[in-house]
Amino acid sequence: MRNGKKEGGYADRVQLVYARMLDYVAHSVIILMAVGYFLYLTELLPLSVPIETISGNWHLSAAHLQAKLNLPCGWGCFTSPAGLLHGDIISYISVIFLSMATLFCLTSAVAVFISEKKHLYSAIAALQVLVLLVAASGIMTGGR
Amino acid sequence: MKISVPRRLIIPAAVAGALLMLLIPAMPLLAAAPQVAGVTAWWVWVLVLFVFSFLLGIVAVLGGVGGGVLYVPIVSSFFPFHLDFVRGAGLLVALAGALSAGPPLMRKGLADLKLGLPMALVGSISSIAGALVGLAMPAQNVQLLLGIVIISIAAIMIKAGKSGYPEVTQPDRLSQMLQISGLYYEEFGQHEVSWKVHRTPVGLLLFFVIGFIGGMFGLGAGFANVPVFNLLMGVPLKVAVATSGLVLSINGSAAAWVYMFKGAVIPLIAVPSIGGMMLGSKIGAKLLPKVNTRTIRMIVIAILALSGFRSLLKGLGI
Repeated sequence: MRNGKKEGGYADRVQLVYARMLDYVAHSVIILMAVGYFLYLTELLPLSVPIETISGNWHLSAAHLQAKLNLPCGWGCFTSPAGLLHGDIISYISVIFLSMATLFCLTSAVAVFISEKKHLYSAIAALQVLVLLVAASGIMTGGR
Repeated sequence: MKISVPRRLIIPAAVAGALLMLLIPAMPLLAAAPQVAGVTAWWVWVLVLFVFSFLLGIVAVLGGVGGGVLYVPIVSSFFPFHLDFVRGAGLLVALAGALSAGPPLMRKGLADLKLGLPMALVGSISSIAGALVGLAMPAQNVQLLLGIVIISIAAIMIKAGKSGYPEVTQPDRLSQMLQISGLYYEEFGQHEVSWKVHRTPVGLLLFFVIGFIGGMFGLGAGFANVPVFNLLMGVPLKVAVATSGLVLSINGSAAAWVYMFKGAVIPLIAVPSIGGMMLGSKIGAKLLPKVNTRTIRMIVIAILALSGFRSLLKGLGI
């Protein structure tokens, strides 16, 4: 009990909000990843590219593998709604979700900083969100 | 005559032994990795990768290093996967580890947003640049540089000291402007620790460099974040370690997108690595109070040096 009080007492509101969001997201990621990978390996759903084809080519560079197999990359997996019902695509989406975890947490931090009128940190956190959004947009990589 | 082995040495020795047991038989197999990959069933590699990542997760926690820094050099040296996919998975491994450890550290005030955010902002920009440069370079050159970086990290780990509660007499102007300071409860000594920082501009510069290296090689950069926070900026060790995870999660997330858009993330490789490492880290955290961490740290340094050397040879085409 005492520790619980201490924990809350030494963290700002923004830290507690960030931690709560992180908790939700981290647990959701773990569940989604486990389910996605299970569907992938068991082939309960069809695969867009057979596992054997990937394992036969995983010694190739990313560029060569892409040229050969046209695997889903970035947001490309969302281009066809029917494609979402593939085990490998669902597993890939779980990885996308993992990469977005920090973005969710930082967005919640921006909201708290703004509500507390902490302008400097609102700006820093918003800039950080912007950097992650630019990375996630694929602009830097010519992604899809 | 009976020879007694201290109990605290048994667990590290067992874990290191298990790692070596996995590595040694793999070495001749992996000397011609692509050809062998065609012969060995895919599920064997996936299973070995999971078990290996699990053991790495234990060793990483006990050795006080991030999972990514061990994962990339070892897996790229001893598994048949192309370096691109290993780096992509390495970033996600480091990211997942930092995310799962984050919430309690944030609640205790150990991972500090005001300290971490400015550093992560510069680090995430450079980590994107590092990832772009790393993926544009020929894999053999990256492997060679990786070997040099990993051997340097091993040397830093031997040389670098650490300070539980560094003394900061005069905080710098930038840290005052950013209001970087804090207070946390030290459970070990049952007292409050207040802290402030100095040399923030130099810290920012170093985080830029660290971000670039982390993005380029797919490494979690805890090995460098912690000494910069602790030894350079005067952050207490526990806050340095916890905030390093926060910075690492943001930088890793930024660079991971580059790898994803370049097609360098394959779930078949990434997911068992992440799962194994996360499970291993949890076991490692439970074993931590029971083992001699100094011994395991020396083993980690030896493993790093070995895999760095192997990476170097692979980069030289030997």
